[in-house]
Amino acid sequence: MSKLKVEARDFNLYYGDFQALKNINFQAEPNTITAFIGPSGCGKSTFLRSFNRMNDLIVGVRTTGETTIDGVNVYDKSINVDELRKQVGMVFQKPNPFPKSIFENVAYGLRVNGVKDKTFIEEKVVSSLKQAALWEEVKDKLKKSALAISGGQQQRLCIARALAISPSIILMDEPASALDPISTAKIEDLVYELKKDYTIIIVTHNMQQAGRVSDRTAFFYMGDLVECDDTTTIFTNPKNIQTQNYITGRFG
Amino acid sequence: MNIRKTTEKIVEGVLFSSSTVTTVAVLFIIFFLFKSGIGLFQDSPVEKNYAIALNANNPVKNLSAKQIKDIFNGDITNWKQVGGKDGDIELFTLNELGSAYTEEQIGSNLEHIPTCLNEYVKQHENVITYFDKKFYPRNFQGKVLDIPKISVIDFLLGKEWYPTSTPAALFGVLPLIIGTLFVTFFAILFALPIGLITAVYMAEIANERTRRFLKPVIELLAGIPSVVYGFFGLVVLVPLIQQTFNLPVGETALAGSLILGIMALPTIITISEDAIRTTPIVLKEASLGLGATHWQTLLRVTLPYARSGIMAAFILGIGRAVGETMAVLMVTGNAAIMPHSLLAPVRTIPATIAAELGEAPMGGTHFKALFALGIILFIITFVFNSLVEVVKSKKEK
Repeated sequence: MSKLKVEARDFNLYYGDFQALKNINFQAEPNTITAFIGPSGCGKSTFLRSFNRMNDLIVGVRTTGETTIDGVNVYDKSINVDELRKQVGMVFQKPNPFPKSIFENVAYGLRVNGVKDKTFIEEKVVSSLKQAALWEEVKDKLKKSALAISGGQQQRLCIARALAISPSIILMDEPASALDPISTAKIEDLVYELKKDYTIIIVTHNMQQAGRVSDRTAFFYMGDLVECDDTTTIFTNPKNIQTQNYITGRFG
Repeated sequence: MNIRKTTEKIVEGVLFSSSTVTTVAVLFIIFFLFKSGIGLFQDSPVEKNYAIALNANNPVKNLSAKQIKDIFNGDITNWKQVGGKDGDIELFTLNELGSAYTEEQIGSNLEHIPTCLNEYVKQHENVITYFDKKFYPRNFQGKVLDIPKISVIDFLLGKEWYPTSTPAALFGVLPLIIGTLFVTFFAILFALPIGLITAVYMAEIANERTRRFLKPVIELLAGIPSVVYGFFGLVVLVPLIQQTFNLPVGETALAGSLILGIMALPTIITISEDAIRTTPIVLKEASLGLGATHWQTLLRVTLPYARSGIMAAFILGIGRAVGETMAVLMVTGNAAIMPHSLLAPVRTIPATIAAELGEAPMGGTHFKALFALGIILFIITFVFNSLVEVVKSKKEK
């Protein structure tokens, strides 16, 4: 078994008195895609945001247990959160480009991390846009506002923006939920491509999407990680009755 | 059923009429302002029923209000200075008439004044006289000066504001306009950074408890009557400035700017704070997710996003400062001179109107001039308010 990229051990998360995640144990290997599925409010997004500590922004969040990246506990006191977030790219539910030019959107992560070298930034922007399969569509309008391109393009721009800081993990929170089917297909192809270089965790409401892109699938329900297994196993032969009910569409 | 319909009709009628009344009232006030103010330009700077006359041989054909004032103040003493022949100007008013002629000549009921006037003006080549038209001589052999009406240019660009000087009043409002803008500029210079920093602190840094305490305090600041600010300025700020800078008087532009700055703070803080808080959380998350620190996110994402709101706050703050009357009146010293230093007294438009309207005869030239000042103030604030709309609509695009 290869080394684990991401792991959670007895991880609990509370919003004030409300326990949003209950004793989660989870593992993901490098260069795999894991899909988080489950009904709304089950804790899958919360769990996703635990890997780069995005939950810290919410007042009254407490955690116990560990989530680790490359064996390092991200909730350890010695961890610098800003440094942590550079290793972990994040793509959000709705495309959220900055109201800046396409070029500046991708360069943003480099600039805030103190990169001054112009040629390096330019190269990185181009390579990130190529990696995000957006280069051909925007190469002539890099100076144009990122808000002027389509929603699907914006979402790929957000992926390019995340890639530019060279993370090793990419977290995607329902990245295609606000997009049309064609844009969704493009994002899915892209996610599949990115697997070669990154470990990807993707939250999705779309069962088919989970089936299409992921290697492993984790089913969450009411703050519990009910079942996590190879995607084919989850979809064809789930061990847990709740998983089965959810996948077959009996609730959720 | 019918009763309900009738009630609805009545309520509708009340709503309609109250909005109509409001609109009409606003339009009426603006109409009144313009009607009273514009009349100024139909008036002569010399008081009605008074005439200014020269010797018939004097080549000078007309004099401006400023020249007349300078002549009667003794600042111009030779006809050469106003385009005439070399010769000392001789002022001749009823006072001089009293010493030039005996009581007998004048007559016990002043009935011979016109004759004396006529005679004196005829005999003295360098005389200038100023008299009530009721003494206007029959077959007057002097030359009555044709005084031009007050022009818009003289009004707007004139540097001297002597609304009560006789025989010719001067209505140059440039020092007042500049004074207003001068005080406002420094008020904003002082209030904008402090206001912006406070807004950033409240929106981004302060925890919920601090914010819940600060917000009402700042809003309370907006509710304090301006005369209280003025009183505070007069009692605390003015002596402080006087001592600190070792000045003869502490009533200065600086005192006005500081007070106005404090008064503009609540506007600037609340509006910019709201603007900062409207920055979508997803943009902040995107920035933080890329490893930007809280400060980097603030400077590169939040503030640029809130820029137009901050601009609006800034402009509304200016609007507040431009129109403020009482506090400024109390602390700026009110000298109608071109402002040249923060440590010199200035006079603003609203302070001028408030201070002088009481002593200006209703319907007189001075009265109209004050209304014309009101028009200028109205235009200035109107421009600022329109700018806010422009800035806001830019954001929506």
